[in-house]
Amino acid sequence: MRAVKLRKQDLPAFLKCVQSFGELWGPVREKDRQVLKKTDDVNQIDLTTIRTSLPFKKLLFPPRFSMFHFSGNKYTTSLEHLPNRIIFGLHPCDIHALLIMDDFFTRSFDDPYYTERRKKTAIIGFSCIPDEKCFCHATKTDTVEEGFDLFLTDLDDFFLIWVGSSLGDDMTRECPKIIDEGILPEDLKKYVEWRKYRNSQFKMDIDLTSMPEIFDLSYDSVIWEEEGEKCLSCGACTIVCPTCPCYHVYDKIEMGKIEGERMRQWDSCLFKEYSMVAEGHNFRESRAERLKLRFTHKLQAFVGEYGKPACVGCGRCIETCPVDIDIATIVRRLRGEEVKV
Amino acid sequence: MLENQKKDVGLYGFTGCNGDQLTIIHSEDKLLDFWQSVHIKSFSLAKSDNDDSDLDIALVEGSISNQEQAEHMKEIRKRSKKLIAIGNCACYGGVQAMELGSKGWDQRFRKVYGDAFFELRTPIESKPIDVFVDVDFYIPGCPINADQFFYCFAHLIQDHVPTIPDHPVCAECRWRENDCLLLKGILCLGPLTASGCNAVCPSHNLPCLGCWGPVEEANVSSEFNLLKEKGLTQEEIKRRFRMHNGSGIIKPLKKILGVL
Ligand code: SF4
Ligand code: SF4
Ligand code: SF4
Ligand code: SF4
Repeated sequence: MRAVKLRKQDLPAFLKCVQSFGELWGPVREKDRQVLKKTDDVNQIDLTTIRTSLPFKKLLFPPRFSMFHFSGNKYTTSLEHLPNRIIFGLHPCDIHALLIMDDFFTRSFDDPYYTERRKKTAIIGFSCIPDEKCFCHATKTDTVEEGFDLFLTDLDDFFLIWVGSSLGDDMTRECPKIIDEGILPEDLKKYVEWRKYRNSQFKMDIDLTSMPEIFDLSYDSVIWEEEGEKCLSCGACTIVCPTCPCYHVYDKIEMGKIEGERMRQWDSCLFKEYSMVAEGHNFRESRAERLKLRFTHKLQAFVGEYGKPACVGCGRCIETCPVDIDIATIVRRLRGEEVKV
Repeated sequence: MLENQKKDVGLYGFTGCNGDQLTIIHSEDKLLDFWQSVHIKSFSLAKSDNDDSDLDIALVEGSISNQEQAEHMKEIRKRSKKLIAIGNCACYGGVQAMELGSKGWDQRFRKVYGDAFFELRTPIESKPIDVFVDVDFYIPGCPINADQFFYCFAHLIQDHVPTIPDHPVCAECRWRENDCLLLKGILCLGPLTASGCNAVCPSHNLPCLGCWGPVEEANVSSEFNLLKEKGLTQEEIKRRFRMHNGSGIIKPLKKILGVL
């Protein structure tokens, strides 16, 4: 992989320069949170961001959007006018989540509403130091080798930039004046030390080994009922999760016409209607069953199918759930560890 | 749509602020389609030539708070194929039904009206319309949201059942990336309340008061316990829960508190 250097003070100039490839989106502080926003003012980007309140998925399939307009037997999509975008600031966990999403929306068939947006999206990753809610070391998503066009590692006085695609390569060549091609041995040494330091900074103690087996043995555990009593069915945990792709499709028709929009909007396995089928039968009537589905899917079923969990350790569900039901509490409870209730 | 395929529709208002009918009237961009896609047989807030003919669809706003209204409601039901409750008062009783389910309506009534004599009306405790008649579909809100209403209406007049997703306000609130008030210990009813308002209150940093009424899966006891843990008193929580939830909160609240 090609690597180049960028001086700290040149980051704004660099981001300005790559804007010729598309709209720049990055984490911007808003009150108590950071939100992924389109910004022309690169100084607004908050480099200290650990996790944005909603992940990148809101740009690749928005919470609610019109797939196409229909009238009689004809329909027209609006996929031709999508803008080119650069998402700056994704950390390794989110880049792993992006790879999971890419796979989900292309594996069995190509979902154009995702892939057309995805094709026009460039990713510039950014390094991070974990906070007390991060556990990507446990999900093995703490480093990335693919899934980005560029990846910047913050090494105090400069950024080491890994080039991950030909588009990324073009981006660095677009700004030759500020990009430094000469990586010195001491730069590499610095990088290795930084990696060591970052590895030592994980604060959350969570053990994900043998989770599929533990789920097998916990199918009838009382934990599900107990947590189900608490769950508010608010759906927040799935909304913020970067690997939750579920959606609901409905038609919005015009009064008195055979014309309208086919809409897609985010759904959640924690909503009751999600598991309802014809005749009103519901496979997961109770909250306990729905919670069990969410966690089993993330940490067991997905492992069976894809060889890795569908949790990337971003910590968003930990930050979000009003009643503290999240990957960490569930895993600890299933392992029989002490959890403050 | 062909003239003879158009549905006969009537709009009626009982006890309430007329906000739901006004929401329809104020949707200027939809009014032409609204008037053209059906025959509006009765809509006394908007026109004067109203009649009492048989209807395909009756849209009813407001709660029932006297016997004469109850009779009128039953009469509308008899001549309507479908009856749709619109707005919080029709669906759950509105703020005037916040004490529904507690004893002592007589005393409360006397406290306000004393021994006043009602010549034309016989007052009763205010209740949602489904206490008196069968309701086919509910479009909640205080007032209704124009987008949600016209979406439902477009489907209903083509004999489709519209789907209102069973999401609470939190879903729309999270989509808008608001700071969560509940996490800060503020009494927000988002998790218990049906969505459709686009989370307008939390988006202005105000807690949800529950004016859309309860969402089907509302976990009332869990939110009750959570709010108590956050330091709110039982009385504060109960008042807020009952403010807009009328008939919708009685059962779960009785389960927690015993009596209301
Ligand atoms: S389950 Fe939680 S920690 Fe895991 S990816 Fe989803 S939001 Fe992040
Ligand atoms: S965020 Fe918590 S309360 Fe809300 S649906 Fe998820 S687990 Fe349940
Ligand atoms: S602010 Fe209220 S409506 Fe919004 S997510 Fe929090 S609890 Fe739900
Ligand atoms: S946020 Fe709650 S109180 Fe505000 S309009 Fe929506 S349902 Fe009503």
